[in-house]
Formats: sequence, structure tokens, C-alpha cells
Amino acid sequence: MSRVLIVEDEQHIADGLRFNLEAEGHDAMVAPDGESALRMLLVERQPVDVLILDIMLPGKDGFTVASELRAAGEYVPTLMLTARGSAEDVLRGFEAGADDYLPKPFELSILIARVNGLLRRRRWNEHDPPGSSGTSDTPAPDVYTFAGRTLDFTAMQVHAHDKSHRLTVMECDLLRYLVKNANQPVSRRAILQEVWGLPEGVDTRAIDNFIVRLRRYIEDGPAAPKFLQTVRGVGYRFVPRP
Amino acid sequence: MTRRQKAIAFFVTLCVLLVAAAVSLNIGWVFINSRSLAPLVLGVISFALIIAGLIVYTVFLVLEIKRNEDHDTFINAVTHELKTPIASMRLYLQTLQSRDIDEQRRQEFYAIMLADADRLHHTVDQVLAAGASGQKAKAVIRSPIDASALARDCVRLALARHHLDAGAITLDTPADGPTVNGDAEQLATVVTNLLDNAVKYSAGNVRVAVSVAVPAPDTVWIRVQDRGMGIAPKQLKRIFKRFYRVQARDLRNIKGTGLGLYIVRSIARAHNGRVFAQSEGLGRGATFTLELPRLATDAVTPAEGQADADASHPEVVK
Repeated sequence: MSRVLIVEDEQHIADGLRFNLEAEGHDAMVAPDGESALRMLLVERQPVDVLILDIMLPGKDGFTVASELRAAGEYVPTLMLTARGSAEDVLRGFEAGADDYLPKPFELSILIARVNGLLRRRRWNEHDPPGSSGTSDTPAPDVYTFAGRTLDFTAMQVHAHDKSHRLTVMECDLLRYLVKNANQPVSRRAILQEVWGLPEGVDTRAIDNFIVRLRRYIEDGPAAPKFLQTVRGVGYRFVPRP
Repeated sequence: MTRRQKAIAFFVTLCVLLVAAAVSLNIGWVFINSRSLAPLVLGVISFALIIAGLIVYTVFLVLEIKRNEDHDTFINAVTHELKTPIASMRLYLQTLQSRDIDEQRRQEFYAIMLADADRLHHTVDQVLAAGASGQKAKAVIRSPIDASALARDCVRLALARHHLDAGAITLDTPADGPTVNGDAEQLATVVTNLLDNAVKYSAGNVRVAVSVAVPAPDTVWIRVQDRGMGIAPKQLKRIFKRFYRVQARDLRNIKGTGLGLYIVRSIARAHNGRVFAQSEGLGRGATFTLELPRLATDAVTPAEGQADADASHPEVVK
């Protein structure tokens, strides 16, 4: 049974979600605010497989909760719910470490599909440490190696110089896109639209924060990047063999 | 520092620098023209005008930036207040549609959806009322109203709506209810908004006292007193502004549109009355007083007679 933690201050929505997730065979818990969610995850160390996180919460908001969890090394797959639904909010959520988002009001079937999707990823990560061969319900390992670094898109990890970093779904998708277009410049707009499905008119500079983070994972000197180059006026280029 | 605070700081700095430049030019002008009176006087007056213009311009700009900010807060709050009940209703409707649910649960879900519909209705009403009170031309349809009965009805409804025990809101009215002249529905909105706030800002420990009093022969007070979170002295007036919401850490979980008290004030003014807030400070509760002109008892009969006459001869009204 999978454990889902719902962080939502609107009691009606929290109860409705819990009812549906329990009907799907999950074990659902509710935290009414960010502080109690952080306490359950970081202090009480309650095992949680997926986090459903509302943004507008009393006290600490969803963005803060997500980034504090990541800062504490807790990488529980996180689905953000937002009533505002603006692209800027979505990007802020991804930056804070959310793996997926749904605008309110949401479609129940889509929410359940997204939660199950996150749970599937979680299972791959737990049962198949990078390098092991896949089992029947696991996709073929999707690994890319360059200059002594390994990008494991299935386990969502980066290995470089004996160090490993966990990736969020968003970081993972961005890396995969850059690798697919290796040696070609990729515009910020293309990243927004093709990787994350965000509309035009979003502040494209938001991507820069993601790039900064990815550089920290794969570059020797993130200040003088070799693999993830900036193409002035266009965007970025991934160069596996500089 | 938010973007708006930065913008305000920028314009204020710019204003100070320009004023400083104008002042030093002015001093230079005074030195150069110290012997001829006409250019001296004209120059000083022009510089004074430029400086005053700069200051007025900056003040308006800063006020406008702040108004914009209130407006954004309002849009966010209303978006949340509108979307949350819709999201909840959709969630329950889709649940009912896609799952087998026993009768008892079904009834629970209906009750939840009804509560959501009420919440949505309330928000829409608030927004519409605020829009209507922006139009000053709208006349108040007046009739004599027993202030005590009005307060009693509102208290009864508030107790039911917030699921409170009878003791949570007490009522103290004189035996012969003072009469005011006004629109019963609008005045009920005022008392209801004040009561809702009192409950909302009581942090679960609701002890609200409602009283009707006649402090002067021609004045009626309807007061709503709570023992909740209280209001900081400098917020006491601002809370009545449109879209204004007190920004404080422990208030962030209290939802609202920032329209309730604005509506209260608009209605009070349309009735030739006023509303004011008192509080001894944070954590010490607050008292809201609605002050309305009292309808002299001997004036009641003719007014009622007038209303009757209108009712029986509707064509006369035109």
C-alpha cells in the first residue's frame, strides 16, 4: 500500500482527496498546514510515498515547504496544487522542487493518474538502484554517459566524481531535452514550451535557475561551464565533449 | 524587499534628488540675481512651484503603486475564494459520478457541496455589493426598522451559520427597540459582516457580545464586541478601505476578500451613519460600532402611513 500525504488547509478538498485516494487503495493522511507537514516528514520521519501539496497554506506556503524538504534531503515525489495557476507560480513550484502540478479546479481522474505516475517513479527508484537490470514493470534503463558523468533518467539521478544527486522530474526532463539536442543551441522558449508545456509569455529567465542547479551537478567549475554552455541571445547548448 | 517596495524607494529617491537639485539651482539663482528684485522674486516662485510639483507628483505615484498592490491582493484573494469552493464541488461531483457510494456518505457529500455553494454565493454577493456601493447614485429604500429585532435576527443566523452554541454570541438590547430608518436587507448585511468578522478573528474561542444602545436621544448604536485577535492602532481606520486586508503572520490562514468592512462603511454612510472600530491592541479583541440616526418615535407613524399609501397606490410613486 502506498502512503500519500495531503497538505491542504481547505478541509472539504482534503477530505474529498483522502476519500478518493483511499478508494484507490492508498493510505492517505492529511496535514492542514505546512508546519505540520514538515514535522511529519522531517521530525517524525513518517514514511510517505507521494506528497500532494497546496500552495496557498496558512503560515509556510507550498513553495517554502517544498524547498525546505529538498534542503533537508527529503526527495518525496511532490504534486503541487495551485488555485492561481499562473505560469509564474508553476515555475516557482518547479524551482522549489515540485515534480508535477495541477491547477485548481482539477479533474479527479487526472489527479489520480498523476499520483499513480509519481508512485511508479518512486517504485523504480526504490527497487532498481542505478545499474541493475530492469524487471517486468520497469522500463529499460535510460542512461546517458559523457566525460565520466552518468545521467540516469530512470532513477532520476546524476553521478559525477563519485557523487550522486537526485533530480526532480522537471530537472530530469530538462536534462533529457538538452542531451537529445546535444551540440545544438536550445532556446529558453523551446524549453518552456516543449519540455514543460508552459504557455508563451512566461518570464524565460526562470529557466536560468534550473541551469545553475544542473551545472552544480555536472560541471567541475559551475562558474565556468564546459558542458552546459550559455549561448548569448539564444539560450543554452549541451556539449558532451568540449 | 518586494518589487513594489523597490519601485517606491526608487521614485522617492528620485524625488529627493530632483528636489535637492532644484533647491541648489534656486540658491544659485538667488546669488546671481541678488541685486535685481524682479528676476529674484519670479525665479524663487518658479522654483517653489517646480519643487511642489515634484513632491505632489511623487506622492500620487506612490499612492497609486500602493493602490495597485491592494488590487493585486484582492485579485488573489478573490481568485482563491472563488476557485476553492468550485474545486471542492467538482471533486465531490466527480467522486459521486465515478464511484459506488453508500447512502450515508452520499448525504455527507451533498451537505459539503451545499456548504461550498453557500461560500461561493457569499463571495459573489460581497463582490457585487462592493461594486454596487461604488455607485453613489443608488438611493436607499428606507423603512422604519426595529434595531433590536434586526440585531436579534442577525445573531440567530450567525449562530446557525457558524454552528455555535447559543452562549457564544450574547445579545443586550433595550426593551423597546429604538427605530432607525433604512434598508432592512442592507443593514442586516452590515451586522452580519461584523458578526462574521468577530467569529472569524476569534481564533476558535468565540465570545461575542452584541448590544443595541441609545447613547444620545437622536443616535442608535449597534455594537459588536469580540475578544479575538484585536487590531493594531494604526490599522483601525485602514481596515475599512476597499481591498485592504491586515497583513500579519498569524492572520494569513484567515480567508477573505478585503471587501466586508468596505461594504459595511459604504452602507453606513448611505444611511447617514458611520461605523468605527476600537481595539486596545493586538490580542485584546475589538469593538465595531455602527452609529445610525434614530428615527424619532412620533415620526414613525407618518412614515409608515406614507409607505402604506405608496403600496396601495403604486402608480403614485412614479
